[in-house]
Amino acid sequence: MSTQTSQTIQFPYKRTLGPVIGRFFSELTALRIVGIRCGDRVVVPPMEYDPQTGEQLAEHYVEVGPAGTVVSWTWVPEPGPHHPLDRPFAYALVKLDGADTNLLHVLDTGGEDTVSTGMRVAPRWRAEPVGRIDDIEAFVPGETPEGPTAGEPADVRTMEFFSTITYTDVLSPTLERYAASMRAGVITGQRCPRCDRVFLGRGYCSVDALRLGPEHEEALPDHGVVSNYTIVTPTPYPGQKETEPFARASVVLHGDEMVVSQQQIIGVPVADIRVGMRVKAQWFPEAERNAAEISSKGWGTVAGFIEGWVPTGEPDEPAEQFMDRVF
Amino acid sequence: MRNDSDIAVISTAYLPSVRRNELTETEMLITVVDEALDKVGLKRSDIGFSCQGSCDYISGGTFSFVPNLDAMGAWPPIHESHVEMDGAWALYEAWVRMRHGDVEIAVAMGSGKSSTGDPAEIHPLELDPYYLAPLGVDPVSLAALQARQLIDTGKSSERELAEIAARSRRAAADNPRQQVRSAESDVDKLLAEPYVRSPLRRSDLPPISDGASCVVMATARRARDLVERPAWIAGLDHRSEVHNPALRDLTDSPSTRLAAEKAGGVAGVEVAELMAPFTAQEVVLRQALGLGDDVLVNPSGGALTGNPLMSTGLVRIAEAAEQIIAGGRNRTLGHATSGPLLQQNLVCVLEGDI
Repeated sequence: MSTQTSQTIQFPYKRTLGPVIGRFFSELTALRIVGIRCGDRVVVPPMEYDPQTGEQLAEHYVEVGPAGTVVSWTWVPEPGPHHPLDRPFAYALVKLDGADTNLLHVLDTGGEDTVSTGMRVAPRWRAEPVGRIDDIEAFVPGETPEGPTAGEPADVRTMEFFSTITYTDVLSPTLERYAASMRAGVITGQRCPRCDRVFLGRGYCSVDALRLGPEHEEALPDHGVVSNYTIVTPTPYPGQKETEPFARASVVLHGDEMVVSQQQIIGVPVADIRVGMRVKAQWFPEAERNAAEISSKGWGTVAGFIEGWVPTGEPDEPAEQFMDRVF
Repeated sequence: MRNDSDIAVISTAYLPSVRRNELTETEMLITVVDEALDKVGLKRSDIGFSCQGSCDYISGGTFSFVPNLDAMGAWPPIHESHVEMDGAWALYEAWVRMRHGDVEIAVAMGSGKSSTGDPAEIHPLELDPYYLAPLGVDPVSLAALQARQLIDTGKSSERELAEIAARSRRAAADNPRQQVRSAESDVDKLLAEPYVRSPLRRSDLPPISDGASCVVMATARRARDLVERPAWIAGLDHRSEVHNPALRDLTDSPSTRLAAEKAGGVAGVEVAELMAPFTAQEVVLRQALGLGDDVLVNPSGGALTGNPLMSTGLVRIAEAAEQIIAGGRNRTLGHATSGPLLQQNLVCVLEGDI
């Protein structure tokens, strides 16, 4: 059976618009569409530069549309969660009256058989425009715009855009075996037959670029020595859960070369953490161990299986011998 | 006659394109690097420079290319680079690097696993963030807007698109490394299938693929000792157009035409491997390049039948090179594209010794 792990990455973008895109979006809030003059052409949506030559354009704006002609279109019969309308619609290239380029936008016509190249369309405005491209909810058939009464334009300078992507990873055979052994409370490494280094959940030797398989696997001790650490004073940012200073440490497993990095040290004030301190793994209860942190995008991790490392109280190892084992 | 500084493709390898490869990207890369080097008896320590192409957005991991570097065995330290582009652009960088004259053997790689995400969710984020991304326009819808313009302006027809799909599928049936190998290839039956995004049908679209590829290059000083028939890079160029597809003439590809001119032109080209993941894009590329009917296009099956993003373009160059190395041809062309609707285009013209 294969293990799937899923992660959702979110990007809460807030972008400054600059003078040209800012002007376009500001005009939208007054239900006006402007292009920018580019030689004897009018470019819509306006760009800061000539799309062909890259030369900067003077800020000479020209009102266009609001009606236009469909130049190309395609029908989206089953809209997905990332599409702008929740019912079947068309994407279209619309040449607005007075423009020399096309605007890519959305058509809401009710059915595919009512869309055709050359048809005339006009914008349906959002009830309360905010200065975004989707202030035009969609173009609709005909010459007459739909929507609220135009007011004064707002001065729009930024745009927020929230995007989210979900990735589903199916663990590789190596990571699958690694996750199984970690669920059972055993750290399993793979020893490279060429350089004798040991790696966790990787499937290859990072030094020799050699594929490693089950025949290279061995159980590793779950105790070791702190070889390096840093104390982090957290600043708030999306996703940051820590509020107090915390440590992240590297642990060299006993009798072995393997360094497990980015580890929590538990049960001791951060000020007492030392290089050379002997520690042992504190495993999560078996029922709570999970492979959610393992992905095929990086190297094996003990996160989700080992909560952190607890000092054993035994005398320290000499710190000097870990000088080259920091990471 | 070749100059000592001339550069040739001497070996290539790529994994079968599949819907999901269970290996990690790094493991896939180790496999193709091993295969490409073994073919010509080289070791990693022989490599003077390497460059990889991959994309964090596709793999869903920040700095996901860092573990991929393990495919080269980065100890002792090596000379390497990475492009957030298809491996074809990694090959371009490696080729430029070799032209400095101090590197005799270089490797370019490309890798991607589209299986972990939904292209309709990921790809809008590569679009203009102000005017396009908020509209959620997915790659298939974009390609359909281009295809309809091509048909409405009389430059192609739904039947021609179906013929391209059918020809690509028949070619893929003979290539075990392609993904779509036993699909319908009767033109009339394809035309009877429903639209996914009108005027495009399933047969006009590429599959979602995982894969990786590797191309080994050598200068003339080494190439002839390593392979009997090197594929000399006669010219290599890439050009870009404005990002927003709505501001371009989507029925033409001036950047492809210019790149081909700068790479030495298409005269005498016998085989062209074009990266056209949508049928209509093959029409645009053929017309932009001015390829005659006598030019064999995509005998590999092309991107339509296997599309491991970030590797697809490098595979086209690999296939064009193998037409010389193993196929005995004299002049071939490999093309790669990047960005929405053929925004950026790279052309590599290859020659064999006559």
